[in-house]
Amino acid sequence: MVEALRGHWERWVQQRLPAARVTTLNQRKIFIVPSKTAVGLLMLIALLFLLGINFQNSLVYIICFWLLSLLLLTIFYTWRNLAGLTLTALGVEACFAGEKAVLEVELTRPAHQPKYALELAWEGEDQVQVDLVAAQTLRVKLSHSTSGRGYFKPPRLRIATQFPTGLALAWSYVTFDVRGLVYPAPIEKAFQPSGNAQRENVADGREIAGGSNDFGGIRDYQRGDGSKRIHWAKYAQTGKLYTKTFVDYASNALWLEWDELPMPGIEVRLSHLCRKVLEFHQEQREYGLRIPGTLIEPGKGEAHKARCLQALALFGVQDA
Amino acid sequence: MHKQITYTGMIWLLAAQLVVMLPFVFDLPLWLIPVLLFAAGWRLRVLSGAALQPGNVTKALLIVLGIGGLVLSGLKFPSLDAMATLLLLGFAFKSLEVAQRRDALVVIFIGYFLVALHFLYAQSITAALYGMVSMIVLTGALIGVQQSVAEFSAGQQVRFNLRLSVFMLLQCLPLMLVIFVFAPRLPPLWSLPMPTGQAKMGVSDRMAPGDIEKLSQSDALAFRVTFKGRKPAQHELYWRGMVFNHFDGREWRQFERDIDPQQVQSALLTNYRWQPDALRVQGEPIAYEAVYEKTGQPWLFTLTPAVEVEGDVLRGADYRVMARQDLQAPFLLKAVSYPDSQRDLALAPELRQLALHLPETGDARTRDLAQRLWRETGTEQAYLDKILARFRDQRFEYTLKPPTLGESDTIDAFLFESQRGFCAHYAGSLVFLMRAAGIPARVVVGYQGGEWNAAGDYLAIHQYDAHAWAEVWLAGQGWVRVDPTTMVAPSRTEQGLEAAMQAEGSFLADSVFSVRKIAWLNGIRQQLDTVQYGWRRWVLGYDGAEQAALLKSLLGTFSVQGVALLMGGLLAAIGLLWLVLLGMTPGREREALEHQLYRRFCAALAKRGVLREPGDAPGVFAAQAAEALPAVAGVIREFTQVYEGICYAPSADGQQATRRLKALLGKLR
Repeated sequence: MVEALRGHWERWVQQRLPAARVTTLNQRKIFIVPSKTAVGLLMLIALLFLLGINFQNSLVYIICFWLLSLLLLTIFYTWRNLAGLTLTALGVEACFAGEKAVLEVELTRPAHQPKYALELAWEGEDQVQVDLVAAQTLRVKLSHSTSGRGYFKPPRLRIATQFPTGLALAWSYVTFDVRGLVYPAPIEKAFQPSGNAQRENVADGREIAGGSNDFGGIRDYQRGDGSKRIHWAKYAQTGKLYTKTFVDYASNALWLEWDELPMPGIEVRLSHLCRKVLEFHQEQREYGLRIPGTLIEPGKGEAHKARCLQALALFGVQDA
Repeated sequence: MHKQITYTGMIWLLAAQLVVMLPFVFDLPLWLIPVLLFAAGWRLRVLSGAALQPGNVTKALLIVLGIGGLVLSGLKFPSLDAMATLLLLGFAFKSLEVAQRRDALVVIFIGYFLVALHFLYAQSITAALYGMVSMIVLTGALIGVQQSVAEFSAGQQVRFNLRLSVFMLLQCLPLMLVIFVFAPRLPPLWSLPMPTGQAKMGVSDRMAPGDIEKLSQSDALAFRVTFKGRKPAQHELYWRGMVFNHFDGREWRQFERDIDPQQVQSALLTNYRWQPDALRVQGEPIAYEAVYEKTGQPWLFTLTPAVEVEGDVLRGADYRVMARQDLQAPFLLKAVSYPDSQRDLALAPELRQLALHLPETGDARTRDLAQRLWRETGTEQAYLDKILARFRDQRFEYTLKPPTLGESDTIDAFLFESQRGFCAHYAGSLVFLMRAAGIPARVVVGYQGGEWNAAGDYLAIHQYDAHAWAEVWLAGQGWVRVDPTTMVAPSRTEQGLEAAMQAEGSFLADSVFSVRKIAWLNGIRQQLDTVQYGWRRWVLGYDGAEQAALLKSLLGTFSVQGVALLMGGLLAAIGLLWLVLLGMTPGREREALEHQLYRRFCAALAKRGVLREPGDAPGVFAAQAAEALPAVAGVIREFTQVYEGICYAPSADGQQATRRLKALLGKLR
C-alpha cells in the first residue's frame, strides 16, 4: 500500500518536475506546508484561545488571532522566498567510483527579490544553506557519493526554505538533466603479472629495439655496448655483465590491452586499466588503450587521459 | 540543517525576553526583578565569551532558589499570579541554556504567551501598545533565529529583522481584525483563579462609617454610560448597586451573615429571584449602555428599575443587577430603565421582614425618637416628611470628615451628638428611624451623578460619585427612593460632590495636583478619556452580544450562508491583498518601464489611426507614423530614438531617458 502510494508520488513528481538543465521555480513547482514549528504555534494559539474564552479577554483574543494570521501570512512569505528562483546546472565534475561527485549549480534570483536561508540538499548527502542577497547569482557546489562507474545522474535535489519565521516549509525538487562520468575506481596497486616482466610492454612487438627512451629489459653484454648501459647492479649480483636495453616503441607508445590482462573479472580489469592510465599519465608517457569495442590510439595529455578514462567508465554501459 | 543560532539571533532573543518580562514587574513580586536581570546578565556574559553556560548543578541551584522564592513570596496556589511568576522564572532561566533553534523557539513561544498573559493584568491602551511592541520584538527574534548565514553587519541585521517583523505584523492586521470580529465568542468553559495581586475597587459589599468617604477621595473611574435618546437630568442619576438590609449597630450589610458573592448569587437565584410582575412599568424609558471598569467585584450599577437588560447578568427581587463573575475586565451592559415605574406595590412577606429587621438592642434614643414622632404623625408619609424636615432644619452638616462615632450606638451618636456626616450616615439613620417605626426601608449603595464628557457624549462616573441613599416602602407607592443627603446638601445631587464640598475644600483633598483643578488640562483629560472609552467600548467590550449585534447590522438577518459569504469574501480579499503586496500575482511579470511606455506610445498612435504591425521594428514604424502624422513627426522620431537608445545603448542615466519618454508621450496625447 505504502509502496504503491510512494510509487505513485514518485511518478507524479517526475511528471510535474521534469528534468531540465535550467529550472525556474514557479507555483507549479513549489510545495508548501506548515512546519513542525507551526504545529507548536498552533498549540499555543489554541491555548491562547482558551485563555481568551475563560477570561473573556479581548486583547488575549487579539494576540491569539494575530499569531494565527502570522502563521497564514508566513505561508505566503515563505513561498515567495522560493518563487522565481532559477537553478542552472553547470555540470558535474568527473570522479572515480566511490568518490564524491560534485554538482555545480548556479542560483539566480529575480531582481529586487532577495532570497534568504535557502537550503539545497540531497537526502542523506551533502546539504548547504545559502543566502542570495547582495549578489543576484551564486554558484553552489554539492557533492554526492557514487557507487559504481558509469554515468552519475544527480538525483532529485531538494531546495527548501523556512524563512522568514520557520512556521512554513516551502520546497521543490529539481532534477537536473546533466550527468557526470564516474571512472572505475583505480585499483590500489597495479596488478603485477608474474613471470615475464616485459610481457605487457612487448605485447605485440611494436617495440623498436635500441631505442633510448624506455627501459626495455636486460640482455647479455655484447661488445660495443656503452659502459653507461651496463647493468652494474646485476653485475654485482652475478659477476656477469648485462646490458640494459632501451626501446622506442613504434609510435613511442605503450598499449593497454584488455585481452592481455591476466586477471579475471571485468571490473577488476577496468580498475587495473584505470590505475595504469593514471600511472602512465603521471609519468607522461604515451599510451593507447584497446578494450572491446573501443580503440584509442596512443597519445598523452589531459584530454587523452580523459578519453581513456571515459572509455573505461562507459565500458559496457548501455546508455553510452 | 543548521541548528545553531547566530550571535545576532541570540541578541534578538535576549532583547525579546527583556521586553516581555518588563511589564510584569509592576504586578508580580519585586524579587523577580533581580532574578530576571541576573539571568539576562549571565546570558550576555556567555554571549560575549566571558562566562560559560551554566552547568547542571548551577541550573538545579537556580531552580531551587526560584521555587524557594516563589514559596516564600506568599503567593497563593493555585492562582494566576503564581502561575505567571512560575512561567516568568522558567522563561528567564531558559535563556541561560539556549543553544539551539529548538530552545529559542520555546523561549519565543512562551514569550508570546506572556504577552497575552499580561493582558489579564492590564488592558489599557498603553498596555496594548506595549504588547504590540513586544510582539514586534518577539517576531523579530523569531526571524533572527532562522537566519544562519550572516549577510549583513549586526546593525543592518537588526534593522532588517525589525522592518520585516513590523511589515509582517502590519500585513496580518486585516486578517486579525476579521477573525476578531467573526470568531465565535464562547462563554467561559470553567472558572479560573483570577489575578489576586489586585485590591478590589469601588463600593464594597458592606457599609461601615467611613467607607464611602474613603471612596470619595478617589478620582478613579467607576464606569461610563452612553445614553440613547433622552438624557436624564443630573438629579435623576441614581446608579443603584447593592441593597443593604442588615444592620448590626455599626455596619450595614446585604445579608445577615457576611457571604461571598458566590453565595449572594445563589441567594439571588433561589430566594430573591427577579419578579418582573412585581413591577408596574410606567413613564418614559431611558436606554443606555454602561461599560464598567474592572473592580474584582460582581456589582453593577443601573438606573432603577432596569426593565430590559442585555448582558450576562443576574437580577434580584431587590432590583439589583449583578454580574455572574467578578469583573476582571471591562464589562458592557445594555439596559432600558423606567425610573417612574412603581415597584412592589404589594410587598412580599419575606421582603417586608427583611426591610423591618433591626438589632435587638442599642440606639435607644433613636428608637425613642421614632416612637415619639410616629405617635405625632400617624401616617407613613407624614412621618417620613417629619424626619427629612428634621435633617433639613436642625444643625446637620454634610462633611467628608465626620468625627468617629465609636463602636456601638452609632446612630444615636450621629443623630444627637455629632450631627456631622456623609451620605452613609444620613441614609443609615433614616432607614433605622423608618424601621423603628415599622415602616419597611433599606439602604441602597451606588453612585450618584457623573461627569458629562461633551467630546465623547457620555457620562463618566467616578469613585468619588459613590453615594448611599434609602428606599422606603410606602403603601400605594411601593418602594420610593429617599435621599436624606439632599436635605443637608442639596447641591450634592444637583452639581455633584465637588460643588457640595466647595466650602469645606475637601474634594479630592489628598490629590493636590489633580488635573481636574486646571481647566485646560481637564479638557485634555476629557479628550483622552473619550479615546479610552472607545477602547473599552469597542475593543475590550466586544463580546458575543456585540458580535451578534454587529452581524445583524451587517447582514440584516442572521444566516449561516450570509456569514459564510461575508467571511469568504473578506478572507479572499485579504489573500489577494497579500498576493499583491508580496508581488506574487500571476502574470505580473514586470515589464520594464520603457517597454510599457512604448506600448502606450503605440496605443496613442493607434488612436490617431497609425497601427503598428507586430513585425515592425520601432525605426520602421516611426518612419511610417511620421509620414502619416506630419504634425507630430518630431515627437514620434524623438520618442523612437530615445526608446531605441534605452534598449540598445543603455546609458548610466536611464531615469532621465524614461522621464523624457513620459514627457514626449504627454505631448502626443
